[in-house]
Amino acid sequence: MIIFESVSFRYTEQGPPVLRDLNLEIPAGELALLLGATGSGKTTFLRAINGLVPHFTGGYFTGRVSVDGRSTRVNQPRELADLVGFVPQDPVSGFVTDLVEDELAYSMECLGIDPPVMRRRVEEILDLLGLTELRNRPLHTLSGGQQQRVAIGSVLTAQPQVLVLDEPTSALDPGAAEEVLAALHRLVHDLGITVVLAEHRLERVMQYCDSILLLEDGSIRSGSPSELMQTSSIAPPVIHLGRLAGWDPLPISIRDARRAAPPLRALLANHSPRIQAVPTHSPRIVEIKKVHFSYGDKAVLRGVDLDLDAGEITALMGRNGAGKSTLLRTLVGLKTRSKGTIHVNGVDPNTLAAKDLLRHVGFVPQEPHDLFEALSVAAECKSSDSDAGCPPGTTRALLALMAPDVEDGTHPRDLSEGQQMLLALCLIVAAKPPLLLLDEPTRGLDYPTKKKLGEVLRGLANAGHSILMATHDVELVAELATRVVIMGDGEIVANGPTQSVITDSPMFAPQVSKVLAPERWITVEQIAHALSQELA
Amino acid sequence: MRAIPLGKPSVIAIAAISVIGVLSFLWPFVAPADSFLVVNSSETPLLFALIIPLLLVTVISQISDGGLDAKAIALLGALAAVISVLRPLGAGLGGIEPIWVILILAGRAMGPGFGFLLGSISLLASALFTGGVGPWLPFQMLAAAWVGLGAGLLPKASGKRELMILSAYAAVACVAFGFIMNLWFWPFSLNLPEQIAFTPGASAGENLLAWIRFNLATSLGFDLPRAALTVILIAVIGSPILQLLRRASRKAAFDAPTVFIETQRIS
Repeated sequence: MIIFESVSFRYTEQGPPVLRDLNLEIPAGELALLLGATGSGKTTFLRAINGLVPHFTGGYFTGRVSVDGRSTRVNQPRELADLVGFVPQDPVSGFVTDLVEDELAYSMECLGIDPPVMRRRVEEILDLLGLTELRNRPLHTLSGGQQQRVAIGSVLTAQPQVLVLDEPTSALDPGAAEEVLAALHRLVHDLGITVVLAEHRLERVMQYCDSILLLEDGSIRSGSPSELMQTSSIAPPVIHLGRLAGWDPLPISIRDARRAAPPLRALLANHSPRIQAVPTHSPRIVEIKKVHFSYGDKAVLRGVDLDLDAGEITALMGRNGAGKSTLLRTLVGLKTRSKGTIHVNGVDPNTLAAKDLLRHVGFVPQEPHDLFEALSVAAECKSSDSDAGCPPGTTRALLALMAPDVEDGTHPRDLSEGQQMLLALCLIVAAKPPLLLLDEPTRGLDYPTKKKLGEVLRGLANAGHSILMATHDVELVAELATRVVIMGDGEIVANGPTQSVITDSPMFAPQVSKVLAPERWITVEQIAHALSQELA
Repeated sequence: MRAIPLGKPSVIAIAAISVIGVLSFLWPFVAPADSFLVVNSSETPLLFALIIPLLLVTVISQISDGGLDAKAIALLGALAAVISVLRPLGAGLGGIEPIWVILILAGRAMGPGFGFLLGSISLLASALFTGGVGPWLPFQMLAAAWVGLGAGLLPKASGKRELMILSAYAAVACVAFGFIMNLWFWPFSLNLPEQIAFTPGASAGENLLAWIRFNLATSLGFDLPRAALTVILIAVIGSPILQLLRRASRKAAFDAPTVFIETQRIS
């Protein structure tokens, strides 16, 4: 269906090649997963499929891409619109209309399709993607997963044979991601559409895909998942576990891994997981007592009690709407509790002006660029120094430590997602608040960036900060958190050491724990440590 | 960076419409007393008001010949929308018109072709918003197009010097826009005192003096605040807005060529 023949591409004549001599074929009806680190050229590759590269972006293009026999050399992207549906990374930025139904009909109007046909197709797509209930809803009132499904629906109404998606689930929580992936799975199996998608969160997608395209330095390797995963540097924990245990064939899904696991279990029977040292006798940073909060008559927090100590990394988990974000916002004084007491570093956050509060608690929001106000990284750091009242250069020095490759003159919004997160963290940490709050810090980050962020956060915790992060990322929690707090319906339903809390609940269990349950292993690292002892 | 490149035919088209446009404004000074334009002076503005839009359409289609870059159209639309939203703010307030700073900065950052199109399109779009559609609209569109075009043709400079040049240009352009826009109705305005009225058949010099006195007596009270506000806005927000526009333009990579390199097949 999609054929790349000796395709090379560079954006400028002298610039580095982004794609190097790619030769591959994606057969019809396949779900192909595109892997690669941030900046490896994934988006460029996807855009080459429908001719956006090079027709829209400009650039120097060698070779030939053809989709169903139509070459992008002679066809403009608009001439491929009936063949290839393209869903960009941020669905909201692609919306043209206000209502779900209008958005679904829009691309058909552009293609000049008859109104009766349009009517029928809108109905079909509403059913296919489970959007019937939402048909008259304004787009901005939808959740992230619903918006992503509308974006997919709006390109499907043109009845393309190929669907190309750029990180459709990396910004979504696990539930919403599941919705979107289930919808894609159905498209491949029921309609025979060819799907190419780029994704960071492999633990979610891996089991759905038929083949993998691994993009490294502009070159591509393609093959079946179990074959490519033998050597891929980008891999979900279950693959790392399989490689460590030497399973062959390499299991891709949890189910296969469990079936291969008995010998490993026997080997591990006499060991217990090494647990991250939890600091003892460290000063108390946060005391929350019986805190209530409600929007109108809807109670969001209902009697929350929580204490946090210096040096702890606490993960705040729970489904969307459980009150995680509200709790963070109450701690930073953005929301005023209706009952109860909060002490952060000995002060009540609601009594302090923002300028003074900065020195007690810092909050990195879900979209880190919400904190950016300046036109360059250097200016951003400078204004942070004066806000935090620290000597000039403090923030810049912090940033140089955390992200050495960020340049002074860059516009903060031109940084990669990971760099934006680190910059935002520096702006907050400059004031040295004992309590650090993070909302979904790993959304949209690839594995290396996530690892880097994890190291930075652990360093901050060791330096005496208490970190509280709201997250859906169970793998991050398993590797990083010393304590897990689970919220449900405005109350804290579980609060304890990471090891015991996340292995107790299948919802929040990491892949390793799913494979080895009921034993309480949560990371590949723990198992590697135990095995090395076993061998010694 | 040129968001909308101007080929030779486009330059000729812009030059042609500008000549006609200059005539449509300046005919009172050159037309003899017995000419068709003077004898039917109450219909003359309507005549030009019909000719100019036709020519504008021709020019726009010439500039977009071979397809405007989709990104340039998006930017044009977005900035025209910004101007349309800002335009009503100026309605009824003596010359408080924040739209000029946007037009001038956009013309500067995106080049003369973009400035020309933005000037004409944004005045048309905002007129539909404010209900300001009338025989004056084509004149406004053309005059604003000139303002945008001129901003794109200013000499190279950066930093403080650039802001100084832009401020000077803005001051001149804002006053000139007011003066020139008086011309479309001045010749057939009745009941004006003799010193400031158009006299058919009088020498160009006499009419020019009368016109300048007319400007000073009537519209200067609008033109000066307009110029002052624009200069102040350029000083205050000029630098960040220019950086913003240039960043957009850099990201869009308007002048990046699309090249398909042929390779020799070994078979």
